[in-house]
Amino acid sequence: MTDTREITLTVNGTEHTIEVEPRQLLVHAIREELDLTGTHIGCDTGNCGACTVLRDGEPIKSCLMFATQADGSDLMTVEGMEDLPEAGGELHPLQEGFREEHGLQCGYCTPGMIMAGKALLDENPNPSEADIREAISGNLCRCTGYQNIVRSIEYAAEELEHGEIAAADGGVAIDADANADGEFDCGVENCCGGPAAEGDGDGDRGSDPASRGERR
Amino acid sequence: MSSDSERFAEAEDGGPQPEKHCGHGRGGMGEEVKRKEDQRFITGRGNYVDDIKKSGMLHCELVRSPHAHARIEDIDKSRALEVDGVVAVLTADDLLEYDLATMPTLMDDTQDVLVNDKVKFQSQEVAAVIATDRYTAKDGAQKVDVDYDVLDPVVDAADALEDDAPLIRDDIEGQEDNHCLDWETGDEEATAEVFDEAPVTVTEQMLYQRLHPAPIETCGAVGDYDPGKDKLTVHMTSQAPHIHRTLFAQVSGIPEHKIRIVSPDVGGGFGNKVPIYPGYVVAAAASYVLEQPVKWVEERSENIQSTGFARDYDMQGELAATEDGEILAVRTDVLADHGAYNAVAQPSKFPAGFFNIFTGSYDIDTAYGTLTAAYTNTAPGGVAYRCSFRVTEAVYLIERMVKVLADELGMDPAEIRRKNFIQPEQFPYESPTGWNYDSGDYEKALDKALEMADYDHYREEQQRRIETDADKLLGIGISSFTEVVGAGPGKSCDIAGVEMFDSAEIRVHPTGNATVRVGVQTQGQGHETTFAQIVAEELGMDVDDITVEHGDTDTDPYGLGTYGSRSTPVAGAAAAVASRKVREKAKAIAANELEAAEEDITWDRESGEFHVAGAPDRSISITEIAAGAYMNKPAGEDPGLEAVNYYDPPEMTYPFGSYIVVVEVDRETGEVEFEKFVAVDDCGNRINPMIIEGQIHGGLAQGIGTAMMEHVTFDDNGNVTGGDFMNYLLPTSMEIPNFETGHTVTPSPHHPIGAKGVGESPTVGSPPAIVNAVVDAMAHGGISHIEMPMTPDVVWEKLDEAGLAADPADAIALEFDGQWSDEAADD
Repeated sequence: MTDTREITLTVNGTEHTIEVEPRQLLVHAIREELDLTGTHIGCDTGNCGACTVLRDGEPIKSCLMFATQADGSDLMTVEGMEDLPEAGGELHPLQEGFREEHGLQCGYCTPGMIMAGKALLDENPNPSEADIREAISGNLCRCTGYQNIVRSIEYAAEELEHGEIAAADGGVAIDADANADGEFDCGVENCCGGPAAEGDGDGDRGSDPASRGERR
Repeated sequence: MSSDSERFAEAEDGGPQPEKHCGHGRGGMGEEVKRKEDQRFITGRGNYVDDIKKSGMLHCELVRSPHAHARIEDIDKSRALEVDGVVAVLTADDLLEYDLATMPTLMDDTQDVLVNDKVKFQSQEVAAVIATDRYTAKDGAQKVDVDYDVLDPVVDAADALEDDAPLIRDDIEGQEDNHCLDWETGDEEATAEVFDEAPVTVTEQMLYQRLHPAPIETCGAVGDYDPGKDKLTVHMTSQAPHIHRTLFAQVSGIPEHKIRIVSPDVGGGFGNKVPIYPGYVVAAAASYVLEQPVKWVEERSENIQSTGFARDYDMQGELAATEDGEILAVRTDVLADHGAYNAVAQPSKFPAGFFNIFTGSYDIDTAYGTLTAAYTNTAPGGVAYRCSFRVTEAVYLIERMVKVLADELGMDPAEIRRKNFIQPEQFPYESPTGWNYDSGDYEKALDKALEMADYDHYREEQQRRIETDADKLLGIGISSFTEVVGAGPGKSCDIAGVEMFDSAEIRVHPTGNATVRVGVQTQGQGHETTFAQIVAEELGMDVDDITVEHGDTDTDPYGLGTYGSRSTPVAGAAAAVASRKVREKAKAIAANELEAAEEDITWDRESGEFHVAGAPDRSISITEIAAGAYMNKPAGEDPGLEAVNYYDPPEMTYPFGSYIVVVEVDRETGEVEFEKFVAVDDCGNRINPMIIEGQIHGGLAQGIGTAMMEHVTFDDNGNVTGGDFMNYLLPTSMEIPNFETGHTVTPSPHHPIGAKGVGESPTVGSPPAIVNAVVDAMAHGGISHIEMPMTPDVVWEKLDEAGLAADPADAIALEFDGQWSDEAADD
């Protein structure tokens, strides 16, 4: 064992003082010293973005930085998302978005994607599709083909905007899906209140999220 | 194994018809139920192998060969053992003591766990260092001194079969060259006759390049031997935990009941996590010997350079046809690169997998195919990367050749497909190479795709661009593929001798909810939701009242695992049949509870309840019956409400679809952009449309990676030059367009819920559609084929060959009239 250094990291609002080897990567410090295993490792070369965390609000790849370089930093990982005020004690709209829009399959890239999405929305609350695609272009996903990840982040942007409007009003934030007691609609054509088929040429779903049937 | 009566049990109400009665609002068939597994993944609470932390856990680092072909003269461990924190250094000699120096591949070859004598590919495992933490293990690995006698490598299959090629497998008795195997299918003579007399024949040579599945999580394991219980637990990234347990038992001699394989959350598999790799064996063996937990996790470069690659089929395709486009025969000859060991991951009676489905969606009477496989100094593989055992190569071959023929005849590629499709009334259809297609309606899917893609409009636009000498050419590509998935049946398909069935066990608890355990294992496919939906559909329960478990050999029923799109076709069928067995028992209890004769009790799928015939208000649900089963059981009935089913499928299922891709090809740069990407899939009855669409998106993205970006390459010295994410390029959000998906529904007639499986269709079906589109953009210049991956330089060369390339210098000269215009300067 080589010599160690004492560093202080504030992670998800909690200050930790830990002993690390100078060569220890930040991602290993987060995962193995602090036991926050939501942040993943996928490539070792900075290409995949599974290790994305926020450092002083900026998205970084925590496999490309030594833990000592992050000494004194304020870090945020996926485990901190539920504690944000926007989460209202439950899921953060970004997390909700990934579930609602099926933005994940194996889940391995998901924490990194959520952090990349968080960095984008902090900077640009109303991103275009192109903005979103660029913001997550450093994060590889092998399962989803990205389309639903884009939708997930769009979902969060909308939710966050609604939340802010309500708050500015001094009122209670309204759940955009508040019609949960409405009639059940499975989204399939000619079924359970789903859209009527307009011809055989219709696709399953358009690119407009509003055109999609409500899902369970 | 299930009897026929069990397999087709029920159907008294016709089975689920999700397009008509989707889910009944309880989360059954056809409903877009949000995934149950998502909560843990979006909150960072997943549990992947590298997340596992055990008291006293050691770390394993493998020492890998920098050479592709070399004899090991000596291994000196001494400097490594001096490193503070290094606990052990293992070599083949150490493993020999435990008879663990070699392991069988899935194709019955023998692979060194740690190299005993000769290195056969770069990054092959030479030694293992076990240390107190991962950094120290790496320190130790760097201090293992290996003395290599470097030999000439051969990394190309054709070169490997030359007379003067260096012999790779001198460990196989009697082996004198690098020839691995020969295979043939179909009728050689009849096919030759048709070709001799056919009015039109076309031929094309095409390489399906070496790919790697490259899931974002690499492979890894934690071996955890408990000396108190004399039990070895191996947590590992496994797509097939039960068969891995059997193989571990066979290799190690440890009794199978003393081994437990746990496949926790797995970060993508795509076929990469079907084989057994040396790292798993070393971690398990080291834990057994040291009596401490040992973790081994690959780095990305180790994953790509040493674990199962896919494809690497160099194929010649030939079609014989009439002048009006009726295909008379197909013939193919393949040179396959199997790497240093024959480790192809497919049913053992299929050395070329299901490649002999290369007649595709077409009613072709005559076919013949041959294949020669070679050993090379490259990593072993031939795994089914998101495909059912070489069906991907077969579909690429036939769908490319149909386009070649269409261009030769000047026919529309949609028209030529329509002319040759197997017709709906021909099913079940027997192909000339012996497959029995279950059901299909190919024209319907193609018509739908053509309409969604606005095909006629793009054909006109394509012509306009050619006539106006536009900067960007337009190409339209079609692929109308048929897959073969869902292996077994057990009589013809096995993995390492174990027949390919699968299983489900259902336990309905006294308070009316249920636990379902399955023999397959999810790596992102959404099994915890999909299988719950099948059971919800069949038992009339709410999907929220059902929990699905998998991936633990101590608790789950034996199954063959998840690959080859077999989970829904096989384990999905088992879940449906097991549900029907539960319902059968529940019926007796219902009769007791409703105080009616059992023959008067009927099941109503819509309400999910049993009714008394003629008295519809007298009804009872499974949830209510569950209490009766445990608390008020009828006299003579056994207590409890449980069932298990081991399902041996009578046949495979044949999902299909039509994909249409419209591309713009930049004549200056060779860049290809997707203008439109339409995918119409038919996977039979659909369980969760949201999950299906997600799978299709992901597979299409992988198809784009295949066609445009990915290639595991080597230099002449055997160095892997495409062996990490810097050099093996996965598509990002910038390369993948939005997809438009559609579907038709042609249920499988032999599957209990009419489903076929879908996960792999898009990876299988999309590469030929993409290549066909790019070829189509320059077909008027005489181009008939472009090799994958179609990087801009490859495309530009073809444009140049066709006389269609625009010289970038011309464009610059146009802008430059003595001084840069503002516009040009801004660019």
